[in-house]
Amino acid sequence: MIPCIESGISGFEELTRSNGGTGGIPENTATLVYGPAKTGKSIFANQFTYQGLLNGEPCLYITTDKGLKQFETSMNEFQWPIETYLEDNSLYVIDTISDVSKGNLPKSKTVVQSYINNPTDIMVKVGSGVHYIYRNNPRFRSVIDSATTLLAYNENMLIIRVLKAYLMRVNEAGGTPIIIYTENSADKIVETMLKSLVDNIIRLDGKELVVEAMKGIGKRSSPYQITDKGIEL
Amino acid sequence: MIQTIESGIPGFDQLTVSELAEGGIPEKSTTLIYGPPKTGKSIFCNQFAYQGLLKLEPCLYVTTDQGLKQVQSNMMGFNWLIQSYIQNQTIYIIDGISQLSGAKFDDTNNIKLSSVGNPADMMVKVGIGTRSVYKKSNHFISILDSLNTLFAFNQEQMVIRILKAYLRRIREAGGTGLIAYTEGVTDSDTENELKSLFDNTIRLDGEYIRVESNFEDIEEVKSYESTYIITDKGIVVNGK
Repeated sequence: MIPCIESGISGFEELTRSNGGTGGIPENTATLVYGPAKTGKSIFANQFTYQGLLNGEPCLYITTDKGLKQFETSMNEFQWPIETYLEDNSLYVIDTISDVSKGNLPKSKTVVQSYINNPTDIMVKVGSGVHYIYRNNPRFRSVIDSATTLLAYNENMLIIRVLKAYLMRVNEAGGTPIIIYTENSADKIVETMLKSLVDNIIRLDGKELVVEAMKGIGKRSSPYQITDKGIEL
Repeated sequence: MIQTIESGIPGFDQLTVSELAEGGIPEKSTTLIYGPPKTGKSIFCNQFAYQGLLKLEPCLYVTTDQGLKQVQSNMMGFNWLIQSYIQNQTIYIIDGISQLSGAKFDDTNNIKLSSVGNPADMMVKVGIGTRSVYKKSNHFISILDSLNTLFAFNQEQMVIRILKAYLRRIREAGGTGLIAYTEGVTDSDTENELKSLFDNTIRLDGEYIRVESNFEDIEEVKSYESTYIITDKGIVVNGK
């Protein structure tokens, strides 16, 4: 039986349950969440992040679409306040959008600035982030929201290599990473590469959540809706 | 009759029986196993390798997608325990990816670290590894899982050249090679060239397994098709 961690998405555990297991996201495996734009992929990632924080599992969150403030605002929309977790350092954010020099980021050792067009710098920060989090709790989560923006700003195969290195680092340290990606935003070869990097693939199309692949179980699917509590299956 | 090796995959050997061969993977041949992502290609490789280990056939295992730790954990999910074969050195592992995780590892007699972005080093280690397993037995299995990461880290034509060199080494030493590749990670020209380098191809699409064997000496091509499922015991070819 493969040990799983709680996804935080209502109905997801039931959907992915098998042979007396608990269901959820298989621990220490990599997941790709993809689908068309505006189908709830970021909400999925945020819900997953928040559930982990509630359960005492720290999170390394790499944001490339929203600055920290916007990220906080979108969490608040669903009553997932992250302020305390930023203060107790269990949420480690690498922000590639906000500009420190303009005072947009708080002074904290767990809120770190990087640059969307500098994958090398992002990887250095990921390295120290993983190191910091792992020391406190080897059971942790990590999110990249999203690979789409990274691909848009950089050479595609370079990003595939960076993502591979990212997944290797998080997995080696015992963490469970999720990568968000908007379907068709890069060419087919890149998309197939992305899918081949991960263990689990989840697709959201606005109506249905399809678990296209997951370690230990076959294909599963369920309709979903987005409510004020996030995604509900 | 063409000599074959038991695949270890229930139903596969029965599927591939013909007047030419007993069924299984043709011995001393090379096979490309390909298909879309997450259709069981790595599971197939591991199942085949494990069957060989059970019969104490040495194995040269080149891993480039997953570090050794991950490979072992994946295999453990199917109850394929390889630790004792690592200890008694029946399996020789070239790990081309673990270094990327930033963790520190040391080489042992039969676990060698390399880097997927450094194909020259990989090939040197394949050379040493081939000699090491060949000394144990001239019936050995060689797994390369997979070409994807090699394509992500190197120019396409470079990967093709490395692959040709790798296949030549395996053939010269009399090994049976199984190489995994995810369909669609290169353009169709490269993909066709890739397929032409192998004696056999196996395609897994999540529902069907399609096997094509090219017996060059007698100019005959055989193909077989069946449905398959992935269970907690690995791949089962169920012949529907």
